[in-house]
Formats: sequence, C-alpha cells, structure tokens
Amino acid sequence: MAISPEYLGLLRASISSSPEWKQAWERTNDYLDALRVPADLERELLLLTSFERAIARKRKEPSISATELAFDEAQKALDATLGDLISAKVPADRRSVEERVRLYLMQPTQNSVLSPRNRLSNDVLEALREVRLEAVPRLQQAAIMPRPFVLHTAGERLAAVAGKFSLFGSNRILAWLLGLCLVGLLIYMSL
Amino acid sequence: MSGPGRSVRLVELVGSTRLGEVFKRKVRQRRWGVTLVTLGVAAIGLWLFSDILGSTGWSPIKVLELAVFSLLFTTLSFGFTQAFVGFLVLAEGHEPLKITNTLDDHTPLASTAVVMPVFNEDVSTVFGNIRTLYRSLQNRGELETFEFYILSDSTLPERLVEEELAWADLCRQTNGFGRIHYRRRKVPVNRKSGNIADFCRRWGHRHRYMVVLDADSIMTGDSVSSLVRLMEVNPRAGIIQTMPKLVGSETLFGRIQQFASRLYSPLFAAGLNYWQQGAGNYWGHNAIIRMSPFLASCSLPVLPGREPLGGRILSHDFVEAALMRDAGWEVWFAYDLEGSYEGLPPNLTEYIKRDRRWAQGNLQHVWFLLAERVKPISRLHLIQGILAYSSAPILVLFVCLGGIQAALDHFRGHVSTIPLASAVVLALLTLLLLFGPKCLSLLHLFSRPDLLRRFGGPKRALAGVIMETLFSILTAPLLVWFHTRFVLRNIAGQKVVWNTQTRISEAGPGWIQALREYWPVPVAGILFGLLAWWISPLYLLWLTPLLLGLWLAIPIAQLSGRSGILRSLFQTPEEIDPPRELSKSEPLQLRAGDQFVHAVLDPFYNAIHVALQRRRTVRTPELSEHVGGLADKLFREGPAALTAEEKRALLSDGPAVAALHTLIWRTPAEKMNPFWSDALRVYRNERLVPA
Repeated sequence: MAISPEYLGLLRASISSSPEWKQAWERTNDYLDALRVPADLERELLLLTSFERAIARKRKEPSISATELAFDEAQKALDATLGDLISAKVPADRRSVEERVRLYLMQPTQNSVLSPRNRLSNDVLEALREVRLEAVPRLQQAAIMPRPFVLHTAGERLAAVAGKFSLFGSNRILAWLLGLCLVGLLIYMSL
Repeated sequence: MSGPGRSVRLVELVGSTRLGEVFKRKVRQRRWGVTLVTLGVAAIGLWLFSDILGSTGWSPIKVLELAVFSLLFTTLSFGFTQAFVGFLVLAEGHEPLKITNTLDDHTPLASTAVVMPVFNEDVSTVFGNIRTLYRSLQNRGELETFEFYILSDSTLPERLVEEELAWADLCRQTNGFGRIHYRRRKVPVNRKSGNIADFCRRWGHRHRYMVVLDADSIMTGDSVSSLVRLMEVNPRAGIIQTMPKLVGSETLFGRIQQFASRLYSPLFAAGLNYWQQGAGNYWGHNAIIRMSPFLASCSLPVLPGREPLGGRILSHDFVEAALMRDAGWEVWFAYDLEGSYEGLPPNLTEYIKRDRRWAQGNLQHVWFLLAERVKPISRLHLIQGILAYSSAPILVLFVCLGGIQAALDHFRGHVSTIPLASAVVLALLTLLLLFGPKCLSLLHLFSRPDLLRRFGGPKRALAGVIMETLFSILTAPLLVWFHTRFVLRNIAGQKVVWNTQTRISEAGPGWIQALREYWPVPVAGILFGLLAWWISPLYLLWLTPLLLGLWLAIPIAQLSGRSGILRSLFQTPEEIDPPRELSKSEPLQLRAGDQFVHAVLDPFYNAIHVALQRRRTVRTPELSEHVGGLADKLFREGPAALTAEEKRALLSDGPAVAALHTLIWRTPAEKMNPFWSDALRVYRNERLVPA
C-alpha cells in the first residue's frame, strides 16, 4: 500500500484536532492493544485507512458517533486481513469470534499476522481454517445404574428403632431433656 | 529363591489357583496376628482399668465408663499395632506381599483418563498440577495413552471464565488440544461423586483406566505410568491407591502436618498394607480405577432417609472401595510408590471446615454397616472412618462419666484408694500406645542416615518431633471439641454447606477473626475447669492437659496459621530438595482483575468463552428476552447490578456475550455507564501478569 507521508500526517492532524475523533482513535487503539497487535507500521496503516473510511462515512451519516464508525471500519479491516484464517462457511455474526480465536492460538508464535512479512504458509492456513475449539471429546456413553441399597434383617430392625427415636434427635429441647434424664438416671442408679 | 525375587514371584502367582491358597493363608495369618496383638494389648488395658474402677466398688456409671474405655483403648491399640507391624516391615527392608513388587517397566500402557474434579478452586493450582503431570509424561515419551479431563462444577461466574481461559492457555502452551479436556456441569448434582459419575456416563467407555486427582493433587508421570502398568499386570485389581505425601505448605500448621505425615505415615502405611492386602481402601484421589467394574458395580446408591445421615452419599470413596470389593475385585495400596503428592488446608480453621464435611460424609457410612453384601474388611474400613470423628464425642462421654463418678465420690466423702501399680502401668501403657508410633518412626529415621539428612539432620528432626508432639497435645482437645459438635449436629439433623476448600498457603486468620470463631472454646474450657476444681482440685489437675488446648484455642488458631514461624524446624525431604515436578513453574497467562468483566471486554477471553458455548439450535422468545434484558442491564448499570446467577445465565448465551463485547467497544464513553469506559482503559498496553 502506498500512501504519501504528507497525507498520513494530514489525517493524523485532523484526528487529533477533533475531540470526537480523538476519542475514537483512543478507543480503537485500546482495542488493538487488547488484541495484542504490536504497535508497528502495519497497525498504523490499518488504523489510518479505517479512519479515512470512517471520516468519509461520517459525512454521509452524521448521526452515528465517530467511535462507532471508526470501530466498525477497524473491525472490517481486521476481517479483511484475518478472513483467510477462517472458513468461508463461518456465519457473518460468528466471524469476529472465530478470527480472535485463531489470533489467540497463533499468538505465542506469530507476533503480528497483520504484517505481510509474516504471511502464513498454505498448510498452516488450511489447518487454521479447520480449527474448531472443542473442550470435550466425542461422547462414548456408558449406562451406570445405582445399585439398590439393601439392609440386612438386623439393620432393618435397627433402622426402624432409630426412626422411632429420630423425633428426639431433631428437636433440640427434647434431645437435651432426654440426655439430662439419662444422666440423672445414671447418677441415681450409681448412688 | 529368596529376597525380592521370591516376593515378586509370590505376588505374581496370587491369581493362580495353585498359589491362591498359599496367599490366602498367609494373609489370614497376618490378619489373625494383628487382631490378636490388638485385642491382647486392649485386654491388658481393660483389665488394668477394671482393676482401678472396681477397687472402690462398681456402679452403673463405672460399667458404662469401662465399656467406653474398651472401645477407645481398642482403637488406640489397633493404631499402635499397625504402626508396630509397619516398623517391623520397614526394618526388615523387604515386604514380600505388596503390589509394587509386580511392577515391570516394560509392560505396555493402556488408555487412561486423568480426571480432576474441581469446584471453584484456585485456577493456577488446578491447571498447574495438570500441566506438571502432562509435562512429566511428555518427558517420558508416554503421553500417547493419556487424556486429561478437568471436570468443573464451578458456580462462580468469574471462576468459570478463568477456568476456560486457563484451559485454552494450557492447551496452547503444551499443544494439548484434543488431549486436555475441560467440561463444566451447569448443575452440580451430587457434588464430587456426581461429577465423576457424569464423566463415567459421558466418556466411560473411552478409557480402560481412570486416575482420579484432587485439585491439589500432584502426581509425576513416573507414578501414573507405574499405576497403569500395575493395573495391567494385576488383572484382578479394581483400584490401586497411592500414599500421597503432603507438600507445599508455608504456614506453621501446614508445615507441622506435613512433617508429621511425612515422618509417621510410612509406618502406618506399611502396617496397613501388611494386613489389608487386596482388601484395601480408596481415599478418593491419587488412585487408579479400572473403568469397567467401576461402571458396572460402583454407582452409588441413595441412602434411606434424608441428609445429613441419609440421602445422597457425600464421602463416596470408602463406599466405592466397598462396592468394588463386593463385586469381587481387589483394592490395593501402593504405599511405597513415589511421586504422589497432595496439598493440605493452610490453617486450623480450614482444616476444621474440611473435617466438618468429612465428618458428615463418614457418619453416613453407618448405613453400610447395616447393609447386605459388604465384606468384613470393608466394614472395618468404614468403622475406622466413622470412629475418626465419632471417637471425639465418645472421649467426651468418657471424661464426663469420670467427672460424674469423681463428683459422686467427692461429695459422698469417699477417699479415692486406687491401686497405684495398676494406675501407673495403665498410664505407661497409654503413653506407649499414644507416643510409641512417634518413637518408632524416629527410630526408623535414625537408622537411615540419608533419610535423616533429608529431614534436616538429627537435631532438627528430634526438635521437630518434640514440637510437633506439643502442638498435637494442644490441638487435640480443640479437634475433639469441634468433632463432637459436628457429630452431635449431624445426629440432630443439621447438614453442612459444601464450600470450596482453601488449599493455597495463604496467611491464617487474624486475631479478630480467630476471636470471633473460637471464643466459645476457651469460655467452655474455663467453665469445665471451674467445674473440675469444684469437684476436686486433683480432678482439675488430671484434666489440665485436656483443658489447656481449649484455654489456648485462640492463640493456637492464630499462630498456627502464620508463616515464617519455626522455619528451621519441620523440614521434610520434599521441602529441602523438591522433586523437579514440585519446583517447576510455568505461569498461566491470565489477566488480573474481574474475570467476568474480561469475558465481556477482553477480545480473547470473549472469543474463547463464546466459542466454547454450545450453540442453541432453538431459542425460545422467553429465553432471548430474558438474556437480552440481562445484557441490557449489564450494559446500563455495570456488573454490580447482576447477581451471580444472572451472570451465569448471561455467560451461557454465547451470541449475547459476543454482541455485548462489540456494543461496549463501539459505544462512545458518554453514552454508556462510566464503569465500562474505565474498564476499557485497563487494556491499554497492559502487560499480562502471571497468575
């Protein structure tokens, strides 16, 4: 891309002279920071071309804020640059998510995919297009049925007796009274 | 054939008809031996105590006291016998009947799932521990047959976002996509056991074995591969449990526990294996399980009645071991297999909180004592688990009965004329049973100069044992106090809330917190002391060792949670010279701050989260309206306006979270809640901090 330095300087000056565009510039830059796009020439170019289009759109759609326009244009530029990384079948509303997933996966090795110097090989591109982030493997289901719990005869009797006395356990006052009575009886018998 | 060669042969042939009988006879002899020594020592104690009690005549209180004493003393005697047998086994230097004798490094591995159930746990610990094992297996060139599953039941919105990113980061670091899996259940039915059961239902047929880890478990590749090989060469083994060493503590409490466990456990473990053999127990983690019998036989039943004592089973491990045994499979204890570690609660408060859950879980096991088809040794394991907590109220009952009898004697003017010889011998015998295992452990340690050096040398090891003994004397009454409360509350129908366990070595409670949590303990201790003094000053003197721990509860709780105290003592081999797996650290690249906010704003967090959500094929208008309303509320009022449940509902809708991400980034600051414009600035050239 050949853009004259004079033109870029002019564009930069016009962005910084308007508070609205300045805010838009900061926001879009913050987004690229969050995407960990290195601050290099490619990033600068992506930003300036996005802003160029956003400024042009602003003239036609003055009710839309500069931040919205700039962000949309930057997103479109990113889509154009990263579009190769995803399959054409990915629905439009999902493309941004899938692009970011691929950027994330490439991040440790590929510092800047925006740079033409870092063009990916066809094999890598093909592999990236087939990526489907799945956290779990395919199901191989097994049926497990809880075993019935069977008490033996003595157990059943004990459980029945315990069930009869459960009233005392569940009522704190009754439990204390019963306990004190037992202690009293024990002391009385030991006197 | 003699020595280890003979033992390998013996264990190898256990499954054969010819030597099956020999093995069974040998095991029977061992069990009889342990039973006779236990009962013999208990009988001596019982005889001495009955001599003391009967010297002033018998009463119903004394009969009850004797009954309670017999139960407590037999338990004590069994523990001592086990340690003594373990000492002899270790002193002999060679145990012919242990599962690790059959280990052959050339045995091919088989498909194994490494599963780690988590519930709102510290993410860096969970994923760090998985990575340790992954790297360790990778270095051994044995990764091919293993798959890793992080099974999340987390409910905190920020935690589940963090887990997703940690999973992606771990997979990215290790190239582990397709091998390291992350599954989150939206409804954590039946807690940890339900989590494992859900895994079994979904992927039960995918693997031959399952290695179960806790969130703080660390296992080396060597140990996990060995477990798989042991399973392969022992086709009757259903579960093999390892002996995890406690590691990673920084606080005084944690380091004392770590030291004590490291020093004393080998004796108990060797003794345990000596008599239990293939009728062992399962502790819920750091163990390998054979999937097919587990699926067929170990699904947990629902107990009669309601929680806390009925309903769904909380402590599943002992029960699963019992079910496995009932189905005819063996449960082994690979007590000498190296490379199995776990963390522990950092302070007394967290330790007690954990005990509260365990107490309820173990008390539920009473039902299995009344159930059909539970093998006798499994019943013994269950009884031991129940007594681990219920022995506290039994001890309190024993002390109270003694107090009542002393009061009766005192107020009736009876002069206590106990037979001095019996009293002295009983006191000495009790001391032997209590402290004998510690002395035997020291003896074992001092007989191995290399191991002694790894404990910091003779002076430090000895000082450590003395200080640990004093600490355990002070903390034992506190634990008795809390265990008694837990057991009585459970019996009275109060159940526990299942909280996340604090595992990281953070500082313990401050003085105010310790005061708030422990004030009833010293108050009760003072009241008991006054009562004892009123009965007789001599009785107070007798009770003082028990009451001292109660009086000092607050300082003990506070000081034990501190790190930096007595650093030169309580050293363990793993602390002095940590194995490579424990010392390695590759921090995860996660952003600091509110992870829920990152899920909305951070382009990568957002993308990973959205990509992992299941795409709904059908969206009802009501659901769309509900989620749309939540997204709108979040945009207008910020994250504080949403409850945790609302955050979870919103997070589960991928398209809504993706749309919210774009909306916030493209909206000018003046048109949205100031929270968001401030939050966006965080991403401005922010450097990532290691988690």
